Amino acid sequence: MSDIAAVATGWGLTFVVVATYALWVVGRGKTIGRELGIGKRQELGPGSDSSTPASS
Amino acid sequence: MSQIPDSKHMTATLGTRILGSVAVAAVLLMTLLGLVVSPEDLVQGHAVRMLYLHVPSIWIAYAAFVLTAASSVLFLIRSRSRADGGRHHDRLAGSAAEVGVLFAGITLVTGMLWGRVTWGTYWQWDARLTTTVLLFVTYLGYLALRRLPADPIVRGRRSAVMALISFVNVPIVHFSVDWWRTLHQKASLSVGRRPEITGEMYWTLLYSTLTVTVVASWLIVHRYRVIRLEELRDEEALNALIASRLREDDVGN
Repeated sequence: MSDIAAVATGWGLTFVVVATYALWVVGRGKTIGRELGIGKRQELGPGSDSSTPASS
Repeated sequence: MSQIPDSKHMTATLGTRILGSVAVAAVLLMTLLGLVVSPEDLVQGHAVRMLYLHVPSIWIAYAAFVLTAASSVLFLIRSRSRADGGRHHDRLAGSAAEVGVLFAGITLVTGMLWGRVTWGTYWQWDARLTTTVLLFVTYLGYLALRRLPADPIVRGRRSAVMALISFVNVPIVHFSVDWWRTLHQKASLSVGRRPEITGEMYWTLLYSTLTVTVVASWLIVHRYRVIRLEELRDEEALNALIASRLREDDVGN
């Protein structure tokens, strides 16, 4: 394997893996959120209580 | 803490959208610097460009596993005393570990490709490579443990203990190149030691590390919010099941 082929494979794989994971995380969030129907009534920031509806 | 604006953007907030935009722009610049601006190495040629992925990836894996260990300690302390069982710390530990495993995997793959060019082989069972693959596998085990069905607090405690056991390997991986004779080179950047690289390579490596940190932060925040959504879904399913059983009992009586 040439050095250019190794670099192209490494960078390409890294981009694909990270992008796929990011899309999976966002997609899973949307899917579960839709199942729950909580988009407009729930806060999800770190530190908040999962059982507490948003105040606004 | 911020309000989810609508169901289309379930885990996104203004803050994470800004962070995500910064991450995308930073990655584009990192690609330009790493693949075009930064010069070839006299010995390694273009293969040196793997440095800008390999080193930042293991740095993020270390940082994520430190966050997992710290969150696990806080969870173990607070799970007995707080009304919510300190589940925030458990979620943070889980999301950080998952991102850490992702980047540990990238470290292994980029290292193997780099090794093929510079060492003539994808793999050698030397100290650094062996301890790194052990790190990857133990944290995969941690993620598997988190998926076992159990009471959330009990599962959180088991996972926290597993996280602390797994963390013992982090300093061993890092110092393996100093403690044993290995094929792997010593750290390119380390505190109290002159960097092995200089000039454009040095600055590109620092910039790449910063960029990968921003990307990983975005991933951890989103993953945290997805874990929370999963918990909400499980809680609602349990409540619905209990309500259904109570109705059945009422009908039976």
